[in-house]
Amino acid sequence: MTMRLTRRSFLATSAAGAALTFVGPKALRAATNGTLRFGLSAYPPSFDAWASSGSAAGTIKLMMHRGLLGFGPDGKMRGELAESFSVDDDGVWTFKLRDAKWHDGSPVTAEDIAWNVAEAAKPDSTAYFRGEFQSIVKVETPDDKTVRMITKEPSAVLPGWFAHFNMPMIKKGEAPDTTMGAGPFKLEKTDRGVSLSLVAFDGYYKEGLPKLAGIQAIVYADENLRVAALDAGDVDLIEYVPWQAMEQIEANDQLALDAVDGPFMYLTFNAEHPPFDDPKVRRAIAHAIKREDIVAAAFYGRGGPLEHLPLAEGSEYYNADLAHGWNYDPEKAKALLAEAGHPDGFECTMLATSQYGMHQSTAEVCQAYLSMVGINVRLDLPEWATRVQKGNQGQYDMAVMGTTASNNDPDGMTQLVDGSLPASFVRSYGLKTPKLTELLAKGRQTFDEAKRKAIYEEMEKQAIEETPIVGLAWRSQGFAMKKTVSGFTNMPGQLCFYSPETLEETALG
Amino acid sequence: MLRYITYRSLVAVFLVWIVVTLVFLLLHLVPGDPAEVLLSQGSTAADPQAVANLRDRLGLNDPLWLQYAHHIGGILTGDLGTSFRDGAPVAGQIVQRLPRTLEVIVTAALIAVLLGVPAGTLAAIRAGGWIDNVISFLSSLALSTPVFVVGSVVILIFAQELRLVPAGGYVPFAVDPARHILLLLMPAGTVALALWAVVARMSRGSVLDVLERDYVRTARAKGLKRRRILKRHVVRNAMIPVLTVLGLEMGTLIGGTVLVEFVFNWPGLSGYLVSAVDARDYPEVVGIVMVISILFVLLNLVVDIVYAVLDPRISLTR
Repeated sequence: MTMRLTRRSFLATSAAGAALTFVGPKALRAATNGTLRFGLSAYPPSFDAWASSGSAAGTIKLMMHRGLLGFGPDGKMRGELAESFSVDDDGVWTFKLRDAKWHDGSPVTAEDIAWNVAEAAKPDSTAYFRGEFQSIVKVETPDDKTVRMITKEPSAVLPGWFAHFNMPMIKKGEAPDTTMGAGPFKLEKTDRGVSLSLVAFDGYYKEGLPKLAGIQAIVYADENLRVAALDAGDVDLIEYVPWQAMEQIEANDQLALDAVDGPFMYLTFNAEHPPFDDPKVRRAIAHAIKREDIVAAAFYGRGGPLEHLPLAEGSEYYNADLAHGWNYDPEKAKALLAEAGHPDGFECTMLATSQYGMHQSTAEVCQAYLSMVGINVRLDLPEWATRVQKGNQGQYDMAVMGTTASNNDPDGMTQLVDGSLPASFVRSYGLKTPKLTELLAKGRQTFDEAKRKAIYEEMEKQAIEETPIVGLAWRSQGFAMKKTVSGFTNMPGQLCFYSPETLEETALG
Repeated sequence: MLRYITYRSLVAVFLVWIVVTLVFLLLHLVPGDPAEVLLSQGSTAADPQAVANLRDRLGLNDPLWLQYAHHIGGILTGDLGTSFRDGAPVAGQIVQRLPRTLEVIVTAALIAVLLGVPAGTLAAIRAGGWIDNVISFLSSLALSTPVFVVGSVVILIFAQELRLVPAGGYVPFAVDPARHILLLLMPAGTVALALWAVVARMSRGSVLDVLERDYVRTARAKGLKRRRILKRHVVRNAMIPVLTVLGLEMGTLIGGTVLVEFVFNWPGLSGYLVSAVDARDYPEVVGIVMVISILFVLLNLVVDIVYAVLDPRISLTR
């Protein structure tokens, strides 16, 4: 008798627990009309408009802000706050502003723009383009709608700075982390670390845009949960689709995948640690690694081999004859090692990070292939912050890195291979590349397309020879969305992280 | 009692000070620079001057002892500082996130006790029988399945296949109570699974132990009803070790629900701590760890007091 009672109460309790789990009104998941639910990969670490605060922050900045220039869905640079821009024979850039308004209703003036440039260039600024802006010697505002920028030397790449999501314009006098801009959406509410609500700005300068009534950006840090949330209908659009889920999304007739090969993986070297000061050794390493295996191991086949500098095939600056300059050729690698005086190889360390699976997998594949030519690699896999510091301070022999260039202009290679720039984990340490530095500078100052193309072809040829970095793989960067979402475009190549700019044209079903 | 609590509180303050100092020093010892990490987001090369400017702004160029003095001074005046990342006040963030984590842990503990104590008692009474075997198999299974597996399966079945619940997330109770509870049950249920197994196993062993005691035999000999013996003499006495373990487990969970929070997108304290460590956000890390250690010490104190309530032989005076 007593036992039965116990059992019964036990069952009753568990049944109550189970029943609670099923309390789930389906109505809760219905989409709010006109508000897009965006599955964000991380909460923006800060809203600092001009700092490089990552792609998630970039996404939010592109909702709230606009720069002088931007990119269209086709990847072509276009005017945003500036309706037109041109350069004269002296290399002075002139921007003509359109009638745009800040979120508070006041007009965007030339004075605002000049203030942005001056603030970002200040000695105590933390702006991403602080360094570049030192070359802008004067900003003139002949009238309310005209901005003229005078640079030390003529610069063909200046528009790229003003099209970058790390250089949006904010109203004069606002703090750098203001959320008031001139973009299509106004930030209405935030729950730090959880979500951000934005509503359409009715004074946006593009007629009829944005199409959405608002955006609810919800953070899903776990990539698998982000996909599950899309699949379950909790969100309409997600960024950073994990490679392992791409096939499943393509097979789902309710969902669409928009992926481009944009970011890339590569190796950097510490030239202060012999034998990595020897270009022959670096080039031997470039020929020793079979790239397809990296694409398979790290990216589930979603990407492609990269055997030259990361200049995409679609780019006007792509050089077909150099595209396999660092092809997989173990015999050549061994010959080069022998020539460099290391016929039996050597031992060294390779820095990567255990925090991101793709970095670790890439390092593991490199380690395996390098052992085949006699180079015994010991992996150093700290977490990300340590990896960044070790990279910046040159505490490594070889390192695995992954990034994107600022945009599709070949000047983006400067960050990767120009040895005259200060030490950084994104490029090789202590490696001077005077010929590349000179060619890259020449490229920046040349406005003629044909001449530029010739300069960058020579630069790439020289880079293949010197091997300041080793290209490894392109990786696919994907957005996935419900089929009812229209107007969102993943921009080509290096511009994939600019894609949220097309949210102004995005509509729901 | 009062003297005891005063004594324990003083010890607690000392312990918390040690923890804060250690964490502060450790953070400055390990590699990784907050300014560098913040300005290199998106794997970009940060301008060295911009990094230096940010370090200066964050006070990272001050001598370590001065930074420490600032920090301790702040804590003493109730100011936990502001985030290195976006300047959000640390205390406010903790106040917002701590209840969410406590909610998961307390709900999980309730579920674990409600299901675990009867299950363990049942297994003990029927030791060696099939019920005992089933419970022991289930508890082994629950203990050995990692939370991320349970979590992923729960999401797959309930959110993606049956579409009964959203795929994780958080809604404040004030906004939508039903949805709040629904979302809470997933992480709480997952944590409860492992906790249930611990409680069931401890209860079983403890009840078995008590059943052998002289006073139980005496009670039985004088003709007390079995149910009364179980309720009054066995389970009550058997709960002391169970409570100890549960208390300690809950303490560990305050900073240890990272995976559950991650899998179910529950914005609690653990996930906040991990993101703060990743970003080397010193004020946030120190603040969170301090709060966790205070709670841990408090929880132990509560467990000790509950002992005394359960067993009058345990005295709190010393």
